[in-house]
Amino acid sequence: MQDEENLVRRAQQQNEEAFTQLYEEYFDKIYRYITLKIGNQTEAEDLTQQVFVKALQSISSFRWKGIPFSAWLFRIAHNQVVDYFRKEKKYTTTPLDESLRDGAIDPQLAVEQKLDIEQLILATKQLTKAQREVISLRFAGELPIAQVARIMGKSEGAVKAL
Amino acid sequence: MRKSKEFDNILNECLERLLIKGETIEQCLKSYPEQANKLEPLLKTALTAKKVSAIQPRPEFRARARYQFHSTLRELEAKRSRRFFGWQPRWVTAVAVVLILLLVGSGTVAAASNNMPDEPLYPVKLATEQVRLKLAPSDLDKAQLYAGLADKRVLEIARMANKGKPELVERTAQRLDNYLTMIASLVSTQKERAGVLMAPPPTKAPGPLGASDKTVPTKQANRRAKLKAVVASYAIQHPAALQDALNKAPESAKPALRRAIAILTADYEKALKAVGE
Repeated sequence: MQDEENLVRRAQQQNEEAFTQLYEEYFDKIYRYITLKIGNQTEAEDLTQQVFVKALQSISSFRWKGIPFSAWLFRIAHNQVVDYFRKEKKYTTTPLDESLRDGAIDPQLAVEQKLDIEQLILATKQLTKAQREVISLRFAGELPIAQVARIMGKSEGAVKAL
Repeated sequence: MRKSKEFDNILNECLERLLIKGETIEQCLKSYPEQANKLEPLLKTALTAKKVSAIQPRPEFRARARYQFHSTLRELEAKRSRRFFGWQPRWVTAVAVVLILLLVGSGTVAAASNNMPDEPLYPVKLATEQVRLKLAPSDLDKAQLYAGLADKRVLEIARMANKGKPELVERTAQRLDNYLTMIASLVSTQKERAGVLMAPPPTKAPGPLGASDKTVPTKQANRRAKLKAVVASYAIQHPAALQDALNKAPESAKPALRRAIAILTADYEKALKAVGE
């Protein structure tokens, strides 16, 4: 991606092209991050949209204080997940047939993906909250270790050790 | 502490073998049988996590989300303009056009239209293009404009590369990247708005026997087809033009030009997918 700092500054000046570039860069990553956190692809869709609407509304408040833009955006996503659990008050997954809406391209693929997510959630139940966050950011968010470390406020070595 | 560091190194090595080299968990465990009990669950988790990273949003959701994103963007832009001027954005832009022409003169604007990135009137050229984009009446018109601007940027990239100016190649390639991303985004947004993706085709009552069942193509569909043809044509011409420039460019400009070609190729893939869906 182009120099992100330049893109963010232009987006803060309401430049549509810059906004669109940032959106295209992070859309899939935010979606996967939320899907992994809540274990439900259908609900993740609504939350993902909310993340970008909130980002649009508050991008002017973002300040480059040594924190990357990704950290700010994933923080918004994290807060959406927290609000979701607060409302749900439990950790649930949607029954299989609800997640296979009209328009699902490949129902078998959807089933496999759902099983992969559930398997991962089960596997990571043994891990600490910090370790689960590293996996979500690293694999679902596709963020390099350096960015994961900055988002979590830890050193790279500490993240690797996790 | 030392044992823990040793295990970390073994884990890192196994993760690399598993996730990058494509080895199996069993192969890794064979190399370190004493750590197998501790290693196995971690490696299984890593493998599952990698599968999850391949998950993609549904195309329908992606299109719907893009539409909402652009709608929200426009709403916010309209609110801000009204707050500042009390006018609708189009009035503001039309006034801006008049001001530019009065300040710089219509002759200057015309003269700027062929300027290259290393020439003094190039900013006037870009500003005039932005005004045309703002005045575009619809997403398809805007996308068509972006396609035309992409053609200009390719020419500029080739010229700057030929002159051995890699920084200008990079900067112009960034603009080109933006334009092609916008084409894909605008076309998806337009389709969503037109309900192409959401609504099933209406069922038609059977007409009288022998009557033609041909549906008259809509204006939108014609314009989409025209845009698709333009994008498809540029998707072949532009990489070829830059490849040709690469063969003639001085060494100093080649790395930047190669990056521009890579960006262009990837962006045209996305744009073709958007216009072709």
